[in-house]
Amino acid sequence: MTATAFEPRAFDHAHHHAPSTAERLPVLRGREQTRPFSAKVDVIVIGSGAGGAVVARELARDGRSVLVLEEGGHYSPQEYGALPPSQSFRRLAREAGMSVALGIGDTPLISLLAGKCVGGSSVLTGAVCFRIPNEVLHTWSGELGLSRMTPDGVDAYFSEVEELCHVETVPHHMRSRASELFALGAASLGVEMKSMRRNTNGCRGAARCNFGCPNGAKMSVDLSFLPDAVRHGASIVSDALVEKIDITGGKARGVRGRFLDGVTGEPGIPFEVRAKVVVVACGSMHTPILLRKSGLDSVHIGRHLTLHPAVRVGALFDEAVDGWDGALQSVYSDHYWDEGIWLNGVYSAVNVLAAAFPGIGHEHRRLVKSIPNLAFFGGMVHDDGGGQVRRWLSREPLVTYKMIRRDKERLLKTIQILGKMAFGAGAREVLLPIFGMGTIKKPKELDFLSGNSLAAPRIECMAFHPLGSAKMSTARASGVVKPTGETWDVENLFVIDGSILPTSIGVNSQLPIMGISMMLARGLVDDFGTHARKAMA
Amino acid sequence: MVPLVTKDFRRTTLRPRHRPIVRALAEALFSPAGEATPERLDAFVDDVDHFISPASKTLRFGLVMMLGVLRWSPLLYGKFTFFDAMTVDERIAHLERLDRSKVKQLPLIVVAYKTVMTMLFYEDPHELAGLGYPGHARKRYLKVAS
Repeated sequence: MTATAFEPRAFDHAHHHAPSTAERLPVLRGREQTRPFSAKVDVIVIGSGAGGAVVARELARDGRSVLVLEEGGHYSPQEYGALPPSQSFRRLAREAGMSVALGIGDTPLISLLAGKCVGGSSVLTGAVCFRIPNEVLHTWSGELGLSRMTPDGVDAYFSEVEELCHVETVPHHMRSRASELFALGAASLGVEMKSMRRNTNGCRGAARCNFGCPNGAKMSVDLSFLPDAVRHGASIVSDALVEKIDITGGKARGVRGRFLDGVTGEPGIPFEVRAKVVVVACGSMHTPILLRKSGLDSVHIGRHLTLHPAVRVGALFDEAVDGWDGALQSVYSDHYWDEGIWLNGVYSAVNVLAAAFPGIGHEHRRLVKSIPNLAFFGGMVHDDGGGQVRRWLSREPLVTYKMIRRDKERLLKTIQILGKMAFGAGAREVLLPIFGMGTIKKPKELDFLSGNSLAAPRIECMAFHPLGSAKMSTARASGVVKPTGETWDVENLFVIDGSILPTSIGVNSQLPIMGISMMLARGLVDDFGTHARKAMA
Repeated sequence: MVPLVTKDFRRTTLRPRHRPIVRALAEALFSPAGEATPERLDAFVDDVDHFISPASKTLRFGLVMMLGVLRWSPLLYGKFTFFDAMTVDERIAHLERLDRSKVKQLPLIVVAYKTVMTMLFYEDPHELAGLGYPGHARKRYLKVAS
């Protein structure tokens, strides 16, 4: 292989702006490569999600040559917007949407959704945008000593990100009937539901954000940050699996990896890229794997994973709800914040909702047929870091999670609250997220959730916000990265994604990752000269 | 569907010995009274294979192992037969029993396959229309904000 300055023409079959899709990002598809490849750039960004896209944009705008390497494939908004949900999952999500965290002890099996495509998980979010709650920032800046992580310290970065990806409040008329009923049920308990903010522009309320917006209205990073990065000279390569970071003399010098084979999907043709700075932004489930494979040995790598375990409760009404008409998520409540519970309005594609209905055969079919009359209410838990990510048999990590008793009680209480809200809104039957349990018809039937007697593995649980497996700290002994994002162990190696968040944040993670990434990227821009000199030494 | 520029990987997971188990499961879940044609059930097995095949080797191995356990699982309840040799009603009763089992791995087999297969089965446009789902049509966004 010959090292060359990065030049897109060095690739085979580089498809720039396919004529049928004028807005298509000029992504180079690794699965079509037939020859080994090498290059030299200023900055490599591994991962193109909420963290990597922000970093790539900032450094490209600063005039650095930036190469983004993404393991997943590239699909334009026009392409993924037309895919049915299952087809979207199998192309855009890790493990075709079947990733799980294995529960240890009295812990549920937790379904995990994470993106594996250009744009990462931002393509699969519900577009919900919350800033990091002030209480959490106070903990970070006070107890953990991360002095810049104050509400004032991060405000400007969040404001800028919010403008760039068009964060707006969901108008009342875009609330689905399901969300209206959630608000009605909450009101019956004296709880106010508030309007969410989301990164959308022209939302038509298709209620299927989690599979890629069919209308190109969700301003995921493939529509916001990455196009701007490309306009400023950044290049993006898909299907490029980085297997190791080259580290010499305690400094990151580049990466090695292989393009995924176009037929088998397994790693095939090798590539090697040299760079002054390497930024790892693979997300909380894969960043620890890459760091370990590259020889970093901090005991904190892969530990402290938080998930925000979440549940949803179905409410069957006499009226037609048609919950698919309106924003996927539009209301929330922080009423139970002090108890570690956050309530979010939820919906999804009809066939995906049906997948979680109780019963087999006739009973399951009865509930599926009643789907126009069903609303769903959701909630999640501000959890302790009981998760761990480990390498094992395949490219995907082994994720385990041990739920502490407090969080299990919070989860049970969340189900109980949601169930009461469902009855409060007038539901005639309620579907609880408990395996093997049929519907219930009276609020009193929720009482069994008051004790701690239900075995947690019976709870149907999911998570969308894995965070914290390479956490930031003010001392080498207590974390993986410095407050700048640079690793404690290796110079010029940065981690800028959700894995560095030092604790659970209790709210949806997309905007927090972007805001913190913006802050760290600006720091990297400011100090780039220093890092470049270190690289030359 | 918009033609995809990025072509799919071409790999499969299910072997011929797995297919009757998946088909028998689909029949119990979605065709308890013969609602789905044999052709539809056969094609559905291909859909399941297509869906699970992008997953990692480890996960696919786990899913295949689950099929093996499911096939032999009637023995756990003293029935000397295979899952795919049972009648549809027997299979439904058996799956309900597994779903309620206190051995936590057994409900997971039901849940894992039921989740994937339900998502795929009800993605069919005719099934969706039968449920009253209007496809892409939406009304709320046309309302003027008050």
